[in-house]
Amino acid sequence: CKDKLVEEPRSVLTPEFFSTAQGFEAGLNAAYAGTRWIWGPQDYYNLTVCGTDEFKRGVDGSSDLNTYSSNYTPSNTNVGNVWKYCYTYINTCNGLIDNAPVITGMDSVLKKRMVGEARFLRANYYFILVQSWGDVTLNKSFQNTPTTSATRDPMASVYDFIIEDLTAAITALPPGPLSAGVQPGRATAAAATHLLAKVYLTRAGSAAKEADDYKNACTTAATLINNSASSGIGLLPDFGKVFQEGNEGNMEVLWSVQHTSNLAYNGSPKQDNRDADNLLCHLWVPQYENQPGMQRDVFYGRPYIRAIPTRWLTDTVFAERVNDTRYNKTFQTTWICNARKLIPNWPDPLPPGAPANAQPGKPRFGPGDTAIYMPGYEVPDAQIKATPYQVITPNRYAPTLAPTVTKYFDTKRSDMNAPSIRPIIVYRLADTYLVAAEAAFMDGRPGDALPFINAVRRRAAYPTGNPQAMEVQASDLSLDFILDERSRELCGELTRWQDLVRTGQLLKRVRLHNTDAQKNIQEKHTLRPIPQGQIDATTTGPQYPQNPLW
Amino acid sequence: LVLLSNSLYARQPVNKEMVTIKGTVTGEQGDPLPGAVVRLKGGSVGTAASAGGQFTISVPRQSILSVSFTGYLRKEVVIGNEDQSSLIIPMQIDNKGLNEVVVVGYGTQRKSDVTGSIISIKEQTLREVPVANLSQALQGRGAGIDVQKNGGNSKPGAKPKILIRGTRSVNAANDPLFIVDGIPFNGDINDLNPDDVVSVEVLKDASATAIYGSRGANGVILVSTRRGRTGKPVITYSAYTGFVKNMGEYDVMDAQQFTTFKKWALINETPGKYRGLDDPAFYTNGSFSQEEVQGIQTGRNTNWQKLIYKTGMTTNHQLGVTGGSETTQYALSGGYYRETGIYSGQSFERFSVKASVDQQIGKAVKIGLNTLNTYSITNGENANPMGQVLRANPLVSPYDSSGALLNAYVPGTASQVWNPLANFLPGAAVERRKRFGTFTTLYAEVNLARGLKYRFNAGAELRNDVYGNFYASKTTYNQGTLSTSSNQTSITLDYTLENLLLYEKQLGKHKISFTGLYSLQESELQSNSFNNNSILADFLQYYNPQYSSNLAGSGKYEKWDILSYMARLNYNYDEKYLLTLTLRSDGSSRLAPGNKYHVFPSVAAAWNLSQEPFLAKTHAISNLKLRVGYGSVGNTAISPYQTLGALSPVTYNYGSTNVTGAYPTNVPNPALTWEYTATLNAGIDIGLWDNRVTGLVEVYQQQTRSLLLPQTLPPTSGIPNAILTNVGKTSNKGIELQLSTVNIRQPGNGFSWTTDLNVFINRGKITQLANGVTRDINNNWFVGYPIGVIYDYKKEGIWQNTKEDSLTARAYKQTVTHPGSVIGQIRLADTNGDSLINADDRIILGSNQPEWEGGITNRFTFKGFDFTIVAFVRMGGTIVSKMHQSSSFINTYQSNYNNLDVEYWTPGSGQNFYPKPNHANTNTPNSSLLSYFDGSYLKIRSLSLGYNLSPTMVKRMKVDALRIYATAQNPFILFSPYRNRYKGIDPETAMGSGSGTNNQGALNVDTPGTWSMIFGLNLSL
Repeated sequence: CKDKLVEEPRSVLTPEFFSTAQGFEAGLNAAYAGTRWIWGPQDYYNLTVCGTDEFKRGVDGSSDLNTYSSNYTPSNTNVGNVWKYCYTYINTCNGLIDNAPVITGMDSVLKKRMVGEARFLRANYYFILVQSWGDVTLNKSFQNTPTTSATRDPMASVYDFIIEDLTAAITALPPGPLSAGVQPGRATAAAATHLLAKVYLTRAGSAAKEADDYKNACTTAATLINNSASSGIGLLPDFGKVFQEGNEGNMEVLWSVQHTSNLAYNGSPKQDNRDADNLLCHLWVPQYENQPGMQRDVFYGRPYIRAIPTRWLTDTVFAERVNDTRYNKTFQTTWICNARKLIPNWPDPLPPGAPANAQPGKPRFGPGDTAIYMPGYEVPDAQIKATPYQVITPNRYAPTLAPTVTKYFDTKRSDMNAPSIRPIIVYRLADTYLVAAEAAFMDGRPGDALPFINAVRRRAAYPTGNPQAMEVQASDLSLDFILDERSRELCGELTRWQDLVRTGQLLKRVRLHNTDAQKNIQEKHTLRPIPQGQIDATTTGPQYPQNPLW
Repeated sequence: LVLLSNSLYARQPVNKEMVTIKGTVTGEQGDPLPGAVVRLKGGSVGTAASAGGQFTISVPRQSILSVSFTGYLRKEVVIGNEDQSSLIIPMQIDNKGLNEVVVVGYGTQRKSDVTGSIISIKEQTLREVPVANLSQALQGRGAGIDVQKNGGNSKPGAKPKILIRGTRSVNAANDPLFIVDGIPFNGDINDLNPDDVVSVEVLKDASATAIYGSRGANGVILVSTRRGRTGKPVITYSAYTGFVKNMGEYDVMDAQQFTTFKKWALINETPGKYRGLDDPAFYTNGSFSQEEVQGIQTGRNTNWQKLIYKTGMTTNHQLGVTGGSETTQYALSGGYYRETGIYSGQSFERFSVKASVDQQIGKAVKIGLNTLNTYSITNGENANPMGQVLRANPLVSPYDSSGALLNAYVPGTASQVWNPLANFLPGAAVERRKRFGTFTTLYAEVNLARGLKYRFNAGAELRNDVYGNFYASKTTYNQGTLSTSSNQTSITLDYTLENLLLYEKQLGKHKISFTGLYSLQESELQSNSFNNNSILADFLQYYNPQYSSNLAGSGKYEKWDILSYMARLNYNYDEKYLLTLTLRSDGSSRLAPGNKYHVFPSVAAAWNLSQEPFLAKTHAISNLKLRVGYGSVGNTAISPYQTLGALSPVTYNYGSTNVTGAYPTNVPNPALTWEYTATLNAGIDIGLWDNRVTGLVEVYQQQTRSLLLPQTLPPTSGIPNAILTNVGKTSNKGIELQLSTVNIRQPGNGFSWTTDLNVFINRGKITQLANGVTRDINNNWFVGYPIGVIYDYKKEGIWQNTKEDSLTARAYKQTVTHPGSVIGQIRLADTNGDSLINADDRIILGSNQPEWEGGITNRFTFKGFDFTIVAFVRMGGTIVSKMHQSSSFINTYQSNYNNLDVEYWTPGSGQNFYPKPNHANTNTPNSSLLSYFDGSYLKIRSLSLGYNLSPTMVKRMKVDALRIYATAQNPFILFSPYRNRYKGIDPETAMGSGSGTNNQGALNVDTPGTWSMIFGLNLSL
């Protein structure tokens, strides 16, 4: 009868599973799956896009992080979620890396590579933590007992650990995403090298800086760029093709977070825009559906409208639109009528300058015609009245309706409200170029920065602009110019807030360019508050310290 | 069996030496005593009185009839030489109550011998409020039994939560242990037909529950079902039917209120954009949708709730027969219950069949079998259209211009509210649970020697549960996205095997009885589920996932065992001094090696003072007993495999390669152990003036250690799930009072009035947390406070648009300029006076622990009429009204959809309770502070008027007895600040389970409370 008291689980896996070859593989899959919680949902978007010089408050949600109002507190759920996701999957990576030596029956080359992948992922999670919060808890090994205490480790040791991981990963991983036998989304040496360059660059701008950080950042990035041909990577000729739907595996992409049209494997089980779903397709979509002639559809997307571009971004940074093709490849400014709804009629008599086919008392436009257009400059009222469609000039941009970032648009979603099935490009080679340029410039070598920045700028002219006209001289370079260039190339790519913090420009630029946040932003906002949940749950040992002034 | 026993009687020889006696056994007031046993003294002939108290018996001339009935003094009647056709045998109440028998763990005891704290609820009480399940029947019926609707849930088939003597750990699995006919019952309370239950005993203190060892810590509820009785077959039929209606409507804004509200929200979004409420721009700039503008122009005002609510129906039928001979007794019954909800798609239906047989074999052996079988169907157990109904825009119509149902987003709801009426289209939303269960117990009893008995008990419970749901694309569930379905099947087998040795011995004034037990309990569960979407045709529902896409599944297997040894010794000296000693040792599979076994001892003593010579002659005091007991019990609310840690599955893909991963979400915890509760209990049982007043007072103190609760770890631990841990200690102390009085008792069929009253107070608090921690904010545990407190900021009012408030707010570093201005928002108090408003200002605002609770039942009878009022009161305690929080989306102040009809703040209004509307904010900040209310209430549970047809009428109808009645259930809430002042409907809610704020007393936005009116009859033949 005593045998009756022995437990034999059949429907649960226990942590011992990690010490088997099968368990190692499953754990690594999970460590990758964890990245879907960071890149895709609203939390990390809000922490990178909102409240910057590029984007300001959209009408729906995220208001606290957009405006830095006093309602933005340590209880902010976006802040708490990102913190929690990072630590959960760091522990998964720790479990893999710690168990690797005891695993038997596994090809040693494969094992080395998989450990490299785990270290790459762990470095990513720690990099997010250290950039957002400064000093953070550094768990170097697997935690498999209940812990209720925690302390913060100095930023310097976190950076050291990240660099150690990435350096090891580079030697263990295959060269690039298009190398033979590399599945889409897997970590590669190219991705790890890019990240390492960015880590050096970021540390250089932090209190933990080392003397040769800028130099190392530049060298590391340059190595990747210079060897790109042999790793099978390179800039696409056309900026517009980088984010083309279905082209997420292009040669410029260093690493992406995967999604799939097989919905059972795509994120949240119910595909209800929760959990690990890719919502980036929704988050800039404005309330076009409330406008004449428009209704919601899969093509134009679901209007979550969390952020709209600042006037500075659209009018100043993207002022050049002839030789630089990137504005039109980044923003949607035209909507084509898809519903016979609310369409106004031409007045009688017709306004002066009305088109020849306009008829008094008849609809100004119909399905298939332009319904909304944002020319990007002011237009006289008389001209607007004579235009069949709705003309929204920059003065009329509103939290409900403004130019819309199209980089994540997804027309193959299962329906108009469903999350995206597109992989998310996290790192791409153009960013490596700009990292190299920034590092060289900050290292006092503007001349060395030029080739990198001009490579990106020349490409931006394709196909209609003049590449030569895009080139700049060393004397044109400044930190501001580099940051502006990053906006032109990378705006909306979940990196801006970190860029501004790294360069020490967050307060200055938000105060200059973000009309919603300029009055509210304060010194303390250059770090995220330690989530209240972390402080409240650290019940033993010393109290978990909050960041200053929070 | 019916035929068999009839023929048995028919075969009795007709003997001239015999006389046939027909008669009626009655109580003191002439009321019939059904079931009274009439037997020949010194012989083997006997019968039981029918439901009308009537009996027929053939006995030899010049013999003596012995008549007995529980609670009455045995009576002997001398029979002459003649047949009698209308002998009336009036019985006298046994005022000492000495012979009343109550069920205790592993046996029965005379009430006078009981040393522990036991509440006995008899059949009459159970029948007074017609209910769907037994839990509902216990509300207000005994001190220390707190029965509350779970989350405020009022759906058909909803199961209330039972707490006995306050909170220790609160897990879903932590309800009291139900023992049905002697065997632990692990099934659903809805699997028991309350009509089959004849008595319920609630064991509250450790001396009574210690015998259940590791499973007794949350109290034990012993349920006895009907068994057969010697006598001619008695057929009973009872039925009722009636209607169910909502107690009220949620108060949301009407069209006009909403229009003004939305304008204010827009004004506050962009101050200065509008000239005022009359600005025509509101209607032309797209802020109001075309349909809303049309609604304003035509004066449309849609009350969405009215379109949803309907009248529910409730029906119950129960047909039974009992009877038996001297050696064989049987009881058979069949029942049918059905209740439909106050909106379409909700119902609970139950079919039940019960049979029991007891058979004497020779002199030494007795065997018996009892089987309870139910099949139930629950529709729409999770159906909750309220979230969409309450938010639907009152300015727009649910129908399109052609009059057809608008099966789309309701215009003017930011494309978030799908027309809730779409759910009620045929086949659009299907949710069904089918459950079949059989619970069979059997015993064999052998008399080994004089006073020594061996008993074998076995019980098996087999449950099969199939749950499926289907939601069409165009419903509030999927809002136009792919249709979805899921199906879950599970099978559970629980069994218990017990070997008992019972010994009784009387030596002069010493009486000893001993119970020894060896038992094994095992439970095995297997469940599998799948879900999928894009079903090819709606009518396929959830039946075949092959016609769908994106199939995914999961499964579960759980098995646990408990091995037990138990011994109990009862000692009784001269009916005056009583002692009970119990020792039980349990071994559990669920704990790690080294922690598996534990011993649970208890001791209790009682002194029957009324048996002492100095009191025996006192007329005023008819019963007086002092009791004191101490013991320890455990709580095994640990799911299997909890000590081992767990990895959770997750999916991912590398391009077209789809993979499944696993990551750690629970840590191994080999130190996990049971929760132990030690209880000290003292009580006085008292009976005055021939037991015209009976009652008891009880005080207790419980100390729980190794408290089992789910604990959320800091995120840096890397473990995201709350893990089950032994977190510390709690104490519960309380006082309970129970009183039954006969207020008026006129002889015969005259007027009588009796009252049952109970009042109880429980004070629970956490006395210690692990590692010397005094507060664990994340998990909502604070030393010195009860579990389930409300720890939050203190609301000081609303920031006004005055110079003074602006200055103060600025001093507190609050934003006072647009956007993000706090003016018009909830003002938080700087409780620690550090001139900052931050997390350190949170304080304990209250808890759901009531100050006191009580129940009162008044019964009036006059002639054949009876009238019963059952009331329940719960005073104090704070409830969390989810509908007042922005996260429910019904009180967001955003105006994207309809809102609770509150007096929101507008500039200069001075409104200091509700904040301002703001179109730019999905939630109004700190809205949790709008949701804390005093949960006190006084509720009439039932009003019941019945009539027993007079014997002459009954005779004319050729039946034994007939009662007809009408009952109003939950007709009034007489007192409730939440209902009367804050738009609540029904404040009744139980404490939730889990970690953090989940363990508060939350009232969800769901089916509103209901009241019902029922008409019924009870008939016996």
